[in-house]
Parts: sequence; structure tokens; C-alpha cells
Amino acid sequence: MSPSAKVREEKRNGLFAGLETLREAVAIRAWKGPLTEELVRNPGKFGLGQVPARLEPDSTTTMVCGFCSTGCGLNIHMRDGQAVNLSADTTYPVNLGMACPKGWEALTPLSAPDRGTTPLVRPSRDAPLQACDWERALVLFCERFKEIRASHGPESVAFLSTGQVTTEEMAFLGCLFKFGMGFVHCDSNTRQCMATSHVAYKESFGFDAPPFTYADFEQSDVLVFVGANPCLAHPIMWQRVMRNPNKPEILVVDPRTTETAMAATQHYAIRPKSDLVLLYGLANLLIASGWIERDFIKAHTLGFEEFAQFVTRFTTDRVCAETGLRPEELWQFAKTIADGRRVSFWWTMGVNQGHESTRTAQAIINLALMTGNIGRPGTGANSITGQCNAMGSRLFANITSLIGGHDANDEADRAKVSKILGIREDVIPRQPSMAYDQIVQGIAEGKIKGLWVIATNSSHSWIHQGDFNRILDRLDFLVVQDMYPTTETAQRADLYLPAAGWGEKEGTLINSERRIGLVKKVHRAPGQALSDFHIFQLIAHYWGCGGMFARWSSPEAVFRMLKEVSREMPNDITGVHDYRMLDENGGIQWPLSEADVSGCQTPGGGSQIPSERRLFEDGCFFTADGKARFLFEEPRKAPEQPDENFPFLLLTGRGTSSQWHTNTRTGKSDVLRKLYPKECYVEINPKDAEGLQIQRNAVVRISSRRGELRATAFVTPTVQPGQIFIPMHYPEVNRLTFPAFDSYSRQPSYKACAVKIEAA
Amino acid sequence: MSSIALEVNLIDELLAEQQRLTPVERFAQRHERAALPAQARYYSDLIPSSKPGLGQQYAFAVDLDVCTGCKACVSACHSLNGLEEHETWRDVGLITGTETDKPYLQTVTTACHHCLEPACLEGCPVLAYDKNPETGIVRHLDDQCIGCQYCTMKCPYDVPKYSSRLGIVRKCDMCTDRLAAGEAPACVQACPHEAIAIRLVDVAEVSAAALPGAQLISGAFDSSYTKPTTQYVSKKRIPRNAEPADAHALRLEHAHWPLIIMLLLSQMAAGIYLTIAAMGALPGGSLQLYAAPVATLGFLALNAGLAAATLHLGRPLGAWRFFLGLRTSWMSREILAFGLFAGAAFAATLFFWVLPRSPLALAGLVGASAMGLLAVFTSVMIYADTRRAFWSLPLTAVRFYGTTILLGATAAATAMSWIGVFFATDLASELRIAMIPLIGVQTLLFAWEFWSNSQALRDPSNPCHRSLRTIRVLLPWLMSARVVLFVVAIFCSLVAIAASGPISAIGVSVALAATFASQIFERFSFFTAVTAPRMPGGI
Repeated sequence: MSPSAKVREEKRNGLFAGLETLREAVAIRAWKGPLTEELVRNPGKFGLGQVPARLEPDSTTTMVCGFCSTGCGLNIHMRDGQAVNLSADTTYPVNLGMACPKGWEALTPLSAPDRGTTPLVRPSRDAPLQACDWERALVLFCERFKEIRASHGPESVAFLSTGQVTTEEMAFLGCLFKFGMGFVHCDSNTRQCMATSHVAYKESFGFDAPPFTYADFEQSDVLVFVGANPCLAHPIMWQRVMRNPNKPEILVVDPRTTETAMAATQHYAIRPKSDLVLLYGLANLLIASGWIERDFIKAHTLGFEEFAQFVTRFTTDRVCAETGLRPEELWQFAKTIADGRRVSFWWTMGVNQGHESTRTAQAIINLALMTGNIGRPGTGANSITGQCNAMGSRLFANITSLIGGHDANDEADRAKVSKILGIREDVIPRQPSMAYDQIVQGIAEGKIKGLWVIATNSSHSWIHQGDFNRILDRLDFLVVQDMYPTTETAQRADLYLPAAGWGEKEGTLINSERRIGLVKKVHRAPGQALSDFHIFQLIAHYWGCGGMFARWSSPEAVFRMLKEVSREMPNDITGVHDYRMLDENGGIQWPLSEADVSGCQTPGGGSQIPSERRLFEDGCFFTADGKARFLFEEPRKAPEQPDENFPFLLLTGRGTSSQWHTNTRTGKSDVLRKLYPKECYVEINPKDAEGLQIQRNAVVRISSRRGELRATAFVTPTVQPGQIFIPMHYPEVNRLTFPAFDSYSRQPSYKACAVKIEAA
Repeated sequence: MSSIALEVNLIDELLAEQQRLTPVERFAQRHERAALPAQARYYSDLIPSSKPGLGQQYAFAVDLDVCTGCKACVSACHSLNGLEEHETWRDVGLITGTETDKPYLQTVTTACHHCLEPACLEGCPVLAYDKNPETGIVRHLDDQCIGCQYCTMKCPYDVPKYSSRLGIVRKCDMCTDRLAAGEAPACVQACPHEAIAIRLVDVAEVSAAALPGAQLISGAFDSSYTKPTTQYVSKKRIPRNAEPADAHALRLEHAHWPLIIMLLLSQMAAGIYLTIAAMGALPGGSLQLYAAPVATLGFLALNAGLAAATLHLGRPLGAWRFFLGLRTSWMSREILAFGLFAGAAFAATLFFWVLPRSPLALAGLVGASAMGLLAVFTSVMIYADTRRAFWSLPLTAVRFYGTTILLGATAAATAMSWIGVFFATDLASELRIAMIPLIGVQTLLFAWEFWSNSQALRDPSNPCHRSLRTIRVLLPWLMSARVVLFVVAIFCSLVAIAASGPISAIGVSVALAATFASQIFERFSFFTAVTAPRMPGGI
């Protein structure tokens, strides 16, 4: 190129560059600019694919979700050591790269404007809550509860806690309250969801041991869901069902045509609370037809003959009359179970929240036992848990059993626990704790004067809410410890303690399939909010029992003690070295004893823990004789039946996958709020709507003997005539519910009360 | 050290500890080396292995049989695209069967349908939408957008969403750069049941299938309008009478107050020019006496209306690009027509002040009137072109031209009557000529409106039924208020005709106020009670 040509080209390039700048300045069409920049996605590192440039991470870390018991692994996108975004963890063995909307939005509620940032105290009964410092709050906490204890005794203060905090925190709370502060009565909101499964398993298997692993969803050829709507309530478990390659028969027992019932191959829309009769009728048909595994029954169970004798009363005629099913439907149900080679049974709140729920859960267990559908891939009598750490609560909360599934009246257990925790044996109360409803009754009767509520919203969620809230007024001192001072319960507190939330602390959660997962501290708690763990440390110190808890210095230190507590128990986790091992393995299912780990040694010196393990593969149960029990009882009618004055039966349950319980957290996310109906609504059958002359979307008044509410009518044949359905997330629902309880598990029966409907 | 100090120290120590986050290095960092997106193992079958060929484009394909309504797609799209807190580009609705004994539920996930003939793109005055010729993806150019929000009215699927913080709309771009890099869009990556995929569709086939009456799914808008490309697939039969869960829900749409003001004032202005032009055509009138101030009133009203219109724009500084959309956008045409109207109005007004007796003045008046009518026509077409039943061409034309006559003539009459009072001139006969037909028109319009509304309210199959129910249920005060205002307007007009001097001027002024107020209510319901088509919503 000649020099002059070069100069010419440079000139031309300069001219073009100038034109380009000019064109951008007065762009006819602006393809880029500051607004376009806002949404630019950049190639992500860390195997993430493209991510929003403004939320680009400089590292990632994995932790488990803190909403439900599925226990999904979330990949937290970190920048400068803090969480900026998240996505579902591709390799976590639970969720395989997926998450439900709550998981995706898990970080959002942490930044809600109504987070508690200081303790709040109510100077007098009618005064509003006022900010105070931790010093004053702690002194007040101890003074008031000590005063009550001094004048009314150790049974006069109780706590109600949660399945939403870490195992280490639950253990700390239970031990602090009983061993350190010397109180007796405490319970948790797991009473509202999992108490039934706990009792049913304990009685049938000898230990509270859900036997399954999520791979069973994929390995069954028949799946029976009783009172469960996993499509909405556990979408990521349903993901595993959808991955089942065996074209399985999916049977759903539910009075409503739920999303899960729509997706099923067979739906049995029985009358509400006729499930026990149905299950006994099925047992009778299976036995009479010889469709049972006699060898398994003989080798591994006790009480079958009595059970077989008992269920002969459940003739097809009786079962059909009471459930509303046709004889051929009942027959098809039994035949499908009989034809299945790997049949798994799954239940959730439709069973657990019933007036005879323990026996109902055990009737499901009985079906699995008698057909030999347990301990093999794709089988099991499987309770799907509710809350993210209901399992941790069941094992380590030191509420109903002595910590770690021990017995407070067994001398060896007392000695073991006192030695490991370094406490005197005599501080372990022998007296069993009262259940939730008994604590509420105790307050009503003036026996309980002080209440400490931790991370639960009883004023919304407890059955027959109006009564509960009136009873709360009788307390001398109510302390609420929560992320938000705005919950219905915190609004009634005399003292509010601001708690850090999931993602703002370390610890472990145990999911439905017994997998211990890790949560990490990836977000700074606002203001002076402290993790429940730190709050318990402070209370121990201020109460004057700090010495007893000197070793409870960090969540991981507590985890090491819990490992020791679990030694030689069915839930032995002595093989889990530390948090890092949990992290590296994508969570670890219990049990994992030291012996189990040495059995998993790899040639390189490491250990490879199988990522999915189920219980009872050897047919050996946790009872003293190793045999499972058949337990049964004559069904009873639900205590409140529809009648002339209140002719409809009210069903309650999960509304959408974007709502969690009382909405204290899910209500804080704009996205989740968009994904559920804002106002309370009621599902009503078109026939009933016509009979009552209720227009679609009209506002109706629904009342029971206990209270009333207004709701928008959603007219749909998915509920049967004579029944209505209202989601449980709306605070007004429990104004209506009838306080009935299962006599074994003390779990409330939320899904059956009589109501009437009128145009509003 | 005292024990108090110790205790304070423990609180401080734990507060400090609370703020120390878990160092990432404490745990395994398994992702560190991964270069390829780890999720690819789940979605590689859910995106096409090749780019669209000739006559093809990308499209969302939804397998309804496996969608359970978990809504993970909505939140994943939100998080992986870094949207604003309340912003979502995907939504999940529900359709239900209405047969009493056959329960049917189907959740429907939906985002932008990347239509063959995108209404958003056609309506955009500044070409802020681009349909990529290779991929078919309809992309929104955020920096080009002026925030007029017309696309939110044009799209029958409620896809573009306006952000008041940014002053623009934004929408799904099918994660276009993810697709370009061989990655799946966020929603495809996140669906636990693999219900959403990206497929190549044949443009000719989509076009042929989008016959009048065809719809994507029960409750969706007629596909022939925009030819949406999303494919909803189900092996189950969707019951014929299935309807969206929100089919009977009534909601008020955005009122768009700047547009209400703009429409009323611009139509009033057009009507003012038209009125004085008509009066001028009458023999023996005293046009020269009042034409200049009345025309000025028209000019001021028009400019006030235009000022209100700019308030409606999120980013008015980009509005100069309006000419880009003239080929397809009624919004562009409206801006042009309003510009011409403003020019003609200015000229006419100027001529009446400077050369009141020149033929130029009359010519200017005729020009301004014609331009005014044209401008109102473009306004009518803006709404008619959205294909919303409540905004249909005849309904909107009667409303807008009705406003033009009512407000224009009443405003002109008001101005004339006060001119008469101040200049002690008798304009009563001319005033009567303006007022008597006006009372007739007002009565006719009101009767027509009442009659058509009650027809629509009575008949559930009437396309405007839901809008009228919305007015009846959610704006129950509106019709009574308008009846009162109508009676006041007619009464005061009669007083104005019967009386003279200041009484007459006050009468016609009150009539103007009442009519204007009534028109505000009318236009408020025009915007808020319109049934905006959208994909099936939730309960």
C-alpha cells in the first residue's frame, strides 16, 4: 500500500468513526445504551451459563433451601462474600438442577423492609412495641420468666417452636429450656404437620424412620398418593415422579380433583375422612384375594392375624357406602396394588391432619407390610414431610423424646445423654412435655403464664384461631422470636426478639428422605438481628446457666455433640465427619455410622457415600424383636359433621406452590405475590353455587360455629357438591376450623369442619 | 472486670459474629473449573441443535400434559434475567372445565409468543421492536422506547410490561443471546418437568394455522390477529367449554389520566374550530367579532392536550423519532396528525387576529377543522386498532366525535356568550343556533349510550358485556353521576337559550363544566373498564 493510500484510508476510517459517533448520538434506532445495558447477560463462570451482568458472581456455594422438606440444593451466586442471586444446584442429588418458585426467591424475604432490627418491648398492655437494646431485652426475658417460675413452678412457662430453624438451634433450645432453665412443657409447629407420621412410624417400625429415598419415586411401577398434592406442595418431588421411566400407575386418593389428581392415572375422590375405611377395605380385599406376601409377613411382622381378622368387617358394601366409591373402583384399586411389582405409598397432610390420623398412617404402613412393598427400590410406606427441618425437630429437638430419639425414663439413655452433654442427670425432666393443644389448654386454665414463641405464627395457624388468640391474652408474658415483628403472633408479643433467617446462619436441616443438608451464612442479618443460635447463647448466659452450655460455642460444635448423641441409635450419624463432608457429598442421609463409612472406603483412601439409600433392605425393623407391627382400630366419624345449620364441609390445604404456610416470608416477594391470589377465595361446586344462587366470582360469607370470613367464590367442579375448599395461607381460614385432634399424635384435624355459605 | 461489662461484651461479640459470613473457601468449590453450563445436561434436548433454516423461526413449545403449575419458570426467568423486583416476563394461568361432573384443570405457562405479525411491533411509533429475520425473535430495543405504552394495548397477550422507574416497557426476548450461545432460555432450563422447549417452526405452517377463530388455547385471543408461534401440545382433550380461571373476574385497567385529558382537550379543540367554521358558513353572522378569541381558546386547549400527552410518555425526548412508525403505527400517524392540526390551528388563529376579513382566515379555519377531524380520526384508530371490543371502531368513533361536537360547540358557545357580555354585543341568535342542535346531539348521544350499555349488560354473549359488568360492579357510582351531569347540562343549556346576558353566559358555562365532567367519567370508564385480552390467568 502506498503511503498516500494509507493516509487516505486513515482519513476515511477517521471519517467513518466520526460518522459512527454522530449516528450513535442521534441514532435513528438505538440498539444499545444504558437501558439495554441493564439487562445484559454475560457468560457466567462456575458452570452457570449466562447470568445477568449486574448480578455476576465472583464465586458460588451450595446450600439447602429453607422452605419445605424436599431439601433442594441451591447454588448461591456470591459477590464480595455475599449472596447476590441464586439458581438451582445442577448436581444436588435431591433436585437435580431444579427448584420451585419459593426456592428461586429464597433470598428475597431476607431483605424485606419489615425485618426486625432491634428487640422490641411493650411497656404496657395497650402500648405499641418500642425498640430497646439486647441488654434490656435479655434482662427482661430472664426476670419475667424467672418471676413466673418462682410463683407458679416449672410447668408455668412453655415454648412453641418450629420446623424452620436448624437442627443445632432446635437442640439448643430444647436443652436450654429443659436442662438449663428447668421448664417442662414445650412443643413445636411440627405438631401441626408431622406428629402423626412420627407416632405412626415409632409404633409400627420402632423408630421415627421414613424409610424411603427420592429415587423410589423413579423406581416404582405403582405410586399411591393418599392426601397428598405434590404437584403444588412438593413440585420437586413430583419432578422425580415425572422422571419415572416405568410408565407407572399413579393413584391419588383425595376428595378434591387436585393438580396431582389431574395428573394421576387413577383418582379416587372419596368422601372426606373416609380414608381409614378405604384403607381397611383394601386390606380386606387384598387378603381375601390372597394378594399378600405371606413369607414377608411371617418373617418380619407381628400382629397380622389379628389385623386380618379385624378387616373382615370392611366389606365392599360397607366401604363403598362410607367412601362413596363404586365396588369396581375399589376392586381396581386393590388389583393395581396387587399387580404392581414395586408399589410405593405416599402420604402428606390429608392423612396427618385428621381426627384418627395415626391409625390412618398405620393403615397405609399395613398395606405396604402385607404386600411386601418395603425395603426394596420403588416401594415403601412413605410420609412426605412438610417443613424443611421437621425431621430435625423429630429427632433432636428434645421435646417429645429425650434428644436424639432417646427415652427420658430409660436410665441408660439418661446416663448417655448426660455424659455427652456434660450435664447432671437430675436436670433431665422425667415428666413428658405437654402437646401444643395441651399447652394452649394450660394457658386457658391459667396453669401456663409465660409463653415463648420461636419462628412460628400460631395466631394465624393454630386451629380455631379466635379461641387461641383470646387465650393468648391471658398470658402474663409472651415472647416472640422471629425474623419479622409484623407476624400476627409477634403483634401480640410483650417482648419481640429479632432473629436472623435462613441464609444468615450456619447449621443443618434434615429433609424428607433423612438427608442432612447444610445451610451457610451468605447474607448479613439486618441491624441487630441475631441467629436463633446466638439468641440462645445469650439467654443461657443471662439466665445464669452459661456454664452448662459453654461447649455449645458454634453450630458445628453442637453438630459434633449430636453425632455422639446419635451413636448406636437408628439415626446414627457418627460417620459424618463434619460440615465439609456434608457439603462435599450433596447432603448425607441418616444413618451413617462410623462402620458404614469404613465400608465405603475407596482405594484412594477417601470414601464414596452412596447418594441414595433406603431403610429396611434387610427386613429388619427398629423394634426390639426387629419386627414391624400391624396396628389398627375401629374408625370413628369426624366430630363435626355437616348438618342442617352448617350444611357444607370445609376442606383446607395448600393453595399454590408460591405460598408457604402463613405467608410471613413468601408474602415478602413481589414475584411470589404475583403468583397467588391476593384475596381469600373459596372453591365451590357449580351445583351448590346454583342452588345457593351464587354467581361466579361473587363475594360470599362463610361461617362456622366459631367464626366467619368473606371470600370470592371460585365455582369449579374440582370440589364435590357439599364440600368447599379454602387455602390455608389466608389468615382468616382458621377462624372457622374445628379443634379436633388425633388422640395419639395430638395433631389437629384441619380438613373437616361444618360451615354454611351465604351471599355477602 | 465487672459482670455487666462481660455481658455487654458477649452481646457485642455475637453481634459481630453474626455479621461475619461463611467464607466460601471453607467448603468445596466444585464449580470452579466448569467451563460449560452444568445445566446443559438437562436441556440439550429441549433446544434445537441447528439455527432456523429458511422459512423457519424459533418458538416456545409447551407440553401441557406435564405442566403442573409449579411456576418455577416465572421465578427462574425473573432471577436469571435480573428483572426488577416486581417484574415478570412469564406467567402461569389456569383453565378449568365448567361441566358439573367432569372436573378439568390445566395450568398454562405463557410468555411472549414471538408472533409472525407482532401487534406490538406494528403499533410502535418509533420502531422499538425488531423481529429478527433469522430467529424470528421479537426483541424490544429498550433504548429506543419512548414509553408511550401503546404496545401494551396492542399486544393481545399482555406481554410488554411498563416500568415507571425506567419509563419504558420491557419484555421476553426468548433469552436470545443464550440461544445464540447454545444455551436454553431461563424458563426452559428451570422447568422441572421439561414442559417448555424451544422448537423450530415453519413460518408458513404457523401462518396457515392462524385462521380467524383459531386460538392458542381456550380463552386466548384470535390467532389471526398476530399469528403467535407458541405451540401448546396436549394428548388430552381440552373440554369445549373450558375457560380461564379469571374468565369472570372483573378488574379495572389503568386509567391513563394524561390520555384522558389529551383526548378530551384535543377533541374539544377540533370541535371549536368546527363550530366556528359552521357558524361562519351561516349568512349574516358576526364571525369576525368572536372568531379570533374562540380560535385562540381552541389553540390553547389543543396545546394543553398535547402537553398532557407528553406526560404520558416515559421518555418524551425520543418522541421526535415518531415518523419511523408511520407505515404501520396509528400512534405515529396520530402524532403526525396532531402536529398538522396544531400547525393549522395556529395559522387559523393567527389569521383571525391579523387579517380577520381575509379569505385566508376562512381558509385557515376550514383547514384547522379538517385537520382536527383527521386528528380525531387517528385517535379513534389508535384504539380501534387494538381490536378490543369495547374500543371497536363504531363505538370509539361515536364516542370521540361525540365529544368533539359536545365539548367543541359548548366551549365555543361559552366563549361567545362571555364575549357577548363583555363587549355588550348581542350574540344571542347565534348562540341559539349553536345551542339548540347541541341539546339534540347531547340527548341523542346519551340515549344511544344508555341503550347500547343496557343491551350489552343484559346479553352475556355481547362482546362488551364484561366491560359493562365492570362498570356496574366496580364503578357503581359512575352511571348515576353521569345522569346527574346530563340533566344539569341540558337544564343549563335551556336556561342559556331562554335567558340572555350574564345569566345566559353562566348557564352555558355550567353546561360546559357539566359536560366536561361527564366526558371525563366517560373516558375514565373507556380506559378502566375495557376488557384487555390476555392469556388465561389464575384464580
